[in-house]
Amino acid sequence: MAMGDIAFNLLIFFVILARAQDDSHLQWTPAKAQNLEQAGHSLVSVVVDTENKLYLNGQEIGVGQLASAIEDQLGDAPSGERTVLLKVHQEAVALRFEPVIEAVSEAGGDLVHIVEDVKKTSKK
Amino acid sequence: MAIRRKSRLLIEPPASATGDIAFNLIVFFLVCASVQPDSGRKQTIPKAEQTEQKDQQTDTISVELTRQAVFLNGDPVTPKDFGPRIKAKLDARSNPAEKVVVVKSKPDTPYNHWIAVTSQIEDAGGIVTLQLEEEQTVTVP
Repeated sequence: MAMGDIAFNLLIFFVILARAQDDSHLQWTPAKAQNLEQAGHSLVSVVVDTENKLYLNGQEIGVGQLASAIEDQLGDAPSGERTVLLKVHQEAVALRFEPVIEAVSEAGGDLVHIVEDVKKTSKK
Repeated sequence: MAIRRKSRLLIEPPASATGDIAFNLIVFFLVCASVQPDSGRKQTIPKAEQTEQKDQQTDTISVELTRQAVFLNGDPVTPKDFGPRIKAKLDARSNPAEKVVVVKSKPDTPYNHWIAVTSQIEDAGGIVTLQLEEEQTVTVP
């Protein structure tokens, strides 16, 4: 009986460990938009948080290194598997987020802006 | 001889296991909550290239964004009117190359304003292109 519990807990432990590089600990509020679609699986996630700091897969990075770092992460992935999730705090300014968009474009990433559905927020 | 079958349905789990069960349930729901898929908007931005301002075609649609306002080819537009007006302009162009919309933002333009406007451009069939001003260092002798 206890063996099953131990195995289950180990499984959960490794699942969480595998997700340790995610960006769920970062603070940002999504902007609102219409006609959204599922972002799907992505190798790369870029966040501009509430303090205007830039993160690549949860690790802080400078905008100057962003394009090459994204290229390294995407490698030789074919088109359609080069999705880059962009999570920008709604109050971040163009001076900060436009160079990020340019870097994603330069690295050949398929840009997906992670935003909140207007319909969902109006229901709340 | 009749054999009495033991009913196993009413056996209670040991009370010492309730802590383990509760812990596993908490972990299960935490993991479920953290793997919810993201939803968003795909955007295809043409690769960056350096172009001097004088090379730009005069008939390109340009959208300028400030902190709160939107200008379509230099004319101020209310956010409500922007969608229909950009759609009308894009519908009048049949060639995909002519559907490029150059978006130039003031440095203090917030992201929520920017994404609202660029979403409307894409929904109207436009191709968003960003015009960024390059930083130049001038050394004074």
